[in-house]
Amino acid sequence: MAIIEVVNVDKIYNDSEVKVTALSNINLTIEKGEFTAIVGPSGSGKTTLLNLLGGLDSPTNGKIRVGDVWLNELKGSKLIDFRLRNIGFVFQSYNLIPVLTAGENVELIMQLQGVSARVRKQVAADMLVKVGLADRFASRPAKLSGGQQQRVAVARALASKPQFILADEPTANLDGKSAENLLQIMEHLNRNEGVTFIFSTHDQRVMNRARRVILLEDGRIKSDTLQ
Amino acid sequence: MSYLKIAQRNFWRNKRRTAITVSSIFFAVLFAVVMRSFQLGSYSLMIRNAIEQYYGYIRVQHPDFADDPSLENTFEFDQSLPETILRVPNVKAVTPRLETFSLASSGNITKGVLLLGIDPEAEKQFSNPEQFIVRYTISKNLTDISGMKPAFTDEVKRILGAHAGESFTDSVRLARIFDDHPIDAAQLNQILNLSRVQGRFITSNDSGVVISSSLANFLNIQVGDSLVMLSQGYQGTFAAGIYQVVGIVRMPNPDLDNRMVYMPLQLAQNFSNAHNLLSYMAVNLNDASDEALVAISNGLRKALAHTSLDVKTWQDLNRVLVQQIESSNQSGKAFLFLLYFVVFFGIFGTVIMMVHERMHEFGVLVAVGMQKIKLAITVLLEMLIMALIGVALGYLVGLPVIHYYHVHPIRLTGEMAKMMMDMGFEPLMPMAPFGSYVVWQGISVIFMVLLAYIYPARKILRLNTVSAIKR
Ligand SMILES: Nc1ncnc2c1ncn2[C@@H]1O[C@H](COP(=O)(O)OP(=O)(O)OP(=O)(O)O)[C@@H](O)[C@H]1O
Ligand SMILES: [Mg+2]
Repeated sequence: MAIIEVVNVDKIYNDSEVKVTALSNINLTIEKGEFTAIVGPSGSGKTTLLNLLGGLDSPTNGKIRVGDVWLNELKGSKLIDFRLRNIGFVFQSYNLIPVLTAGENVELIMQLQGVSARVRKQVAADMLVKVGLADRFASRPAKLSGGQQQRVAVARALASKPQFILADEPTANLDGKSAENLLQIMEHLNRNEGVTFIFSTHDQRVMNRARRVILLEDGRIKSDTLQ
Repeated sequence: MSYLKIAQRNFWRNKRRTAITVSSIFFAVLFAVVMRSFQLGSYSLMIRNAIEQYYGYIRVQHPDFADDPSLENTFEFDQSLPETILRVPNVKAVTPRLETFSLASSGNITKGVLLLGIDPEAEKQFSNPEQFIVRYTISKNLTDISGMKPAFTDEVKRILGAHAGESFTDSVRLARIFDDHPIDAAQLNQILNLSRVQGRFITSNDSGVVISSSLANFLNIQVGDSLVMLSQGYQGTFAAGIYQVVGIVRMPNPDLDNRMVYMPLQLAQNFSNAHNLLSYMAVNLNDASDEALVAISNGLRKALAHTSLDVKTWQDLNRVLVQQIESSNQSGKAFLFLLYFVVFFGIFGTVIMMVHERMHEFGVLVAVGMQKIKLAITVLLEMLIMALIGVALGYLVGLPVIHYYHVHPIRLTGEMAKMMMDMGFEPLMPMAPFGSYVVWQGISVIFMVLLAYIYPARKILRLNTVSAIKR
């Protein structure tokens, strides 16, 4: 069974005077272990789609299944708890809590999950090793480069043992080398540990590394290709 | 990584903002505690002055005496009366008094006075006027005395002139007039020697009187001089007498100091033809709190139900003072309210800044799975840490200050002192000791912080994750 199933989803923003149809009739399934890029011009609906997949927002029409749960059946604190235990997030920037060290940022998510302090510390250290930041456990985010911060965010997402990780333009604020480095780490995790990644991007080079590319245009899926 | 620790870290996050918040809380608490302490201290001084120097906490008197304090509204003394009163719990002492208005003259100067017939022994348990016996009076011609070595400087002359006729109970108080202008020790000694006054308090079967110092100054009377008293006696009789002034007292309450004549009870009864009659029995208490006052006066009423006598508390007798204190207290409270209002907006401003700066962070935390309520609690902890530190600092500085000025009251000088004395108050600004009012200032400030917390709490609980992350 696919870990994500999107059925007839529309997203219409109605809050301002003009009605904006951000997504229209999206149907989509994502399997475990995918490394999928969502691409498209600015305003095509990439962020909107990722927000819906992550349970951060709800569709106007249609429904979305994650694992064996239909997201529309979860509300409020149940939905937050579902995200905590099932979905990893990496945002474009400022992912980390500035007053916590890299290690503590990774630990925090496990603490929210109720993992014991001893295990937390160990896992956080392991995850930072995986993203190549073994020696930065005690560094505050302000002392890390943008690329390092994004890698800590990946480590944090990994530490929660999610079904998949959503990353909205994770490389947008990075220079070419850092972007490349981040992508390599994600690819490595995907290939060797089976971590499912769904990320959006503008960047042609990032796009090229994806194994599946979903192209959005004006809120519709224009193409969905394996490469 | 406990939430408390996160809160602690956030405390140091924006040092300037934290400093603003903590210091505004600190100053609010400090200011409120000190101001309130001054207020309450001066109220209790006003009350103490009035009660202890004259009124007494409770009076047992003729029912009509309150409205018409004349000799017609007196009552016959009966030895069982003090015994009955003393049996009421918490009553410390009781003293009989006969009180009447009289004219007092010396030479061609005459003044209306309060003639108080007292039992000098029993009175020690009350106003203890003996403690106010004057030992020094600066004579009006002190500056004219020649042969002073070294000669008085103009400044010393000016000070002596300004205090001419003023009396003091001890040398320390007299020396205080030179506080702002240090004076040569030898010269001070000469002044003390030239100002020394003999005098004593009256005894039970004395034939003399003791008068207050401003009155003595006004009438130009010294110890040993005679005082002519004229009044209307009991049932319209004519009362007159000449009495030797055996001592002068300086009453701390300036109003009393202007018009007090103490006479032994029996002498006063003879003078006013009010044999064996009393105006009231003054009652002194072990516990002077408002609650005790009510309890004891009720107890007295019950014990005296068989007599026709009435029981009045100092509050009943002294409506003016009570109202003065109440209205001053109201405006004091209003001022505090204003202060807290200002502090609230200070805190509120920093809180708004904080929330807007951290909206994105809040969004990320809720997105990755932090329950809003947990987030709200960490922010509450943060604000409480700031509040508690501010309050603690406020107490840390404020408590020693109020303790110090409680033990060493500020003595006003110059115009302020004159103003206070004209209003009938001692020119002192003592602070109240530690009390529940101190705790209340802290609680009020913490309440303001909690009020300001409503803003982040609402922002967090109503947080729209998607739009928070976008920012
Ligand atoms: N909260 C909102 N209210 C109204 N319209 C919105 C809102 N969020 C997004 N939109 C609109 O929905 C459409 C899709 O936006 P979305 O952010 O998903 O695009 P995107 O593909 O992520 O763009 P970009 O590459 O610039 O990030 C846009 O037209 C946008 O203006
Ligand atoms: Mg976007």
